[in-house]
Amino acid sequence: MAIVTPESNESPDKDPKYSGERSAKSAITTREEQIEAFRNIDLVSIPIIILLFGGITVFLSAVTVGDWDYWMDWRDRRWWPLVTPAVYIIFPAVIGTFTWKKFRLPIGATATMFAFVIGLWQSRYFNFHSFAGFPLNFVAPSTFIVLGIILDATLLWTKSFFATGFIGAFFFGALPYAVNWPVFALWHVPVSYDGNLLTVADLAGYQYIRTAIPEYVRIIEESTLRTFGEAVTPLTAFFAGFVCVLNYYLWVVIGSYLSESRWTHKVW
Amino acid sequence: MKTNQNRQSNLRQIQVKIRAQKPHQDMNRIFAATFLLLLILMATFILASNAYAHGEKAQQAGLRMRTLNWFDTEIYPREMSVNDNLTIKGKFMPSEHWPRHMASITDTAFLNVGVPGPAFIRVNSNVNGTPMIRSTSFELGKIYEYEINLKARIPGRYHVHPIINVKGAGPIIGPAFWVNVGGDQANFVNTATTLDGTVIDMETYGLNASIWLHVFWVIFGLAWIAYWFRNMRKDPVIMPRFKKVKMLGPERADELITRRETLMGMIVLGAMLTIITGGFFLTQQVVPQTIPLQTGWIPIEPIENPTTNEVIKIKVGESTYRIPGRSFQVEMTITNNTPRPIQIGEFMTANIRFINSQVQTVIAEDTHHLIASDALRVEGGPILPGETKTIKMIAEDALWESERLTSLVYDPDSFFAGMIFFFDDEGNRYYREIGGTMFPTFI
Repeated sequence: MAIVTPESNESPDKDPKYSGERSAKSAITTREEQIEAFRNIDLVSIPIIILLFGGITVFLSAVTVGDWDYWMDWRDRRWWPLVTPAVYIIFPAVIGTFTWKKFRLPIGATATMFAFVIGLWQSRYFNFHSFAGFPLNFVAPSTFIVLGIILDATLLWTKSFFATGFIGAFFFGALPYAVNWPVFALWHVPVSYDGNLLTVADLAGYQYIRTAIPEYVRIIEESTLRTFGEAVTPLTAFFAGFVCVLNYYLWVVIGSYLSESRWTHKVW
Repeated sequence: MKTNQNRQSNLRQIQVKIRAQKPHQDMNRIFAATFLLLLILMATFILASNAYAHGEKAQQAGLRMRTLNWFDTEIYPREMSVNDNLTIKGKFMPSEHWPRHMASITDTAFLNVGVPGPAFIRVNSNVNGTPMIRSTSFELGKIYEYEINLKARIPGRYHVHPIINVKGAGPIIGPAFWVNVGGDQANFVNTATTLDGTVIDMETYGLNASIWLHVFWVIFGLAWIAYWFRNMRKDPVIMPRFKKVKMLGPERADELITRRETLMGMIVLGAMLTIITGGFFLTQQVVPQTIPLQTGWIPIEPIENPTTNEVIKIKVGESTYRIPGRSFQVEMTITNNTPRPIQIGEFMTANIRFINSQVQTVIAEDTHHLIASDALRVEGGPILPGETKTIKMIAEDALWESERLTSLVYDPDSFFAGMIFFFDDEGNRYYREIGGTMFPTFI
């Protein structure tokens, strides 16, 4: 919006530079100014979008996954690998659809997961560690950024939501446990404590008192996989992959619908 | 005509001026409002007092009276430093009058501690000698002796409770004492030894691995995003691409992606999968011995109450609660089969102890110790050996009101329960639980 003051011109109507529609629509008159304006849009929108994505994904995580990813002794081999990707794929699918359809930029999933992980660290550090007093190692977040990259790279390669769902979303669902295994493995080292066999994660869960989270609340194993031996995690990962394929398609459809400009037209 | 033109010109100038100034004024207002809101928000943080309690009184009176009878609770020492040990011990008896509409303790329960966060770590805990790392279940009317050993971690003043978490019903809180912890959290030490003999620091174990794993993938994530904005100074991204996509339409918008970028997508996908797989197998080599998270259920052998029906038999008669006088009265017909005369020395319900001062002396140990030292009267005198006598017990104290037990009259089934402690002239103690329908008296 051009700002025109009476002092700058006695009669704005007489100056062609400020007259008519032009003066009310744009202050940009040269290509350099245009580039600068677009660059400023990039500079302003990127951090805002990252903050926004971080906030909403952390909120989504809190109200859906919650304890499953808060504590090391909840990240089990049966439910964590299924629940987390099934929920966390929602925003990468929606935002990825938006950035691809509107800009042909394969960055939506990565940016969402990046912002999510940064938001998680803030939440775990300030809420869980500084405020509530839990050791940071026990509540350190899991990482999901690479899953966003996989989704975006697949979209870039195939340029197809169908193929991205089939390949990228499947890996998004199947790989979280493997991605985080370098950290999880340390917490699954066995310990003998007070006559019980525990993992280091179980021990931390027992020692660091959570009044409202008794032992029985953790959903570690329910029922059995009788014919699959110890292959619990691979089977869960495979199933989570299929769940994510379907969930990705659903949220791409919703993302496409929400990307329509009809909403902004109505507001304006 | 000229005057009209001048007027219009003036009007236009004013409009232009308003258009030029209004955004600034609006912005100022928005900034002022935001600043004011921030100030108010900050003031709430500064002015808010600390919450030390756990909502003990918030539960329905009937539930507190009819779930767990906690007694002989000891919490010591009350003054300590970081790294010092704190012991919580005592007994509890799940009420035989456990509400039918509430999930039962006979299913799944867990011995826990009520403190604000991990101010202490739990070193060990047991019930009747069985370690309480796992969940268990408890039988109604049986006696359980528990002990929890904690280690102070964060300096502060804490109201420490034993708790039994009951699956489906939530925490049932026991009596509490204030504990002061001094010292410095930086001196806190908590080590553990893994099965392969490695000593680990539980406060920092695995933190570096978490940080480095995140740093590793954050770099990749940033690199991926930065790639698309690499020429941002000369070649802005968002708006130009938006316009180009709009111009080309959905069918031709893929032309914005170069062959090189397509190839890069394929390579990055392959590289990410390779790194993940490599990281997984490398971890398997570095940390070969792992087990799944452990959980389970462990049985506990209960202790029978030595005061059986054969020892002291109680038949509960009419019981009333007189609201204006905060006075609870119950008639009981008691048969004493002990070898000595017995008297009622205490009535305990919902963690409140009404003491008969003629039988024993109990004083409150801190500001929130729920003791009514001289609140119990018994009409009828001692019960002699072999005698069956009807007596009236009156528990009268403001604690009925202040601990919100008077709301019992609003429960859907006005039913009370509590423990009675008898003492003989040699100091021997006998305890039985009583319970029954209670009638309110409004005048």
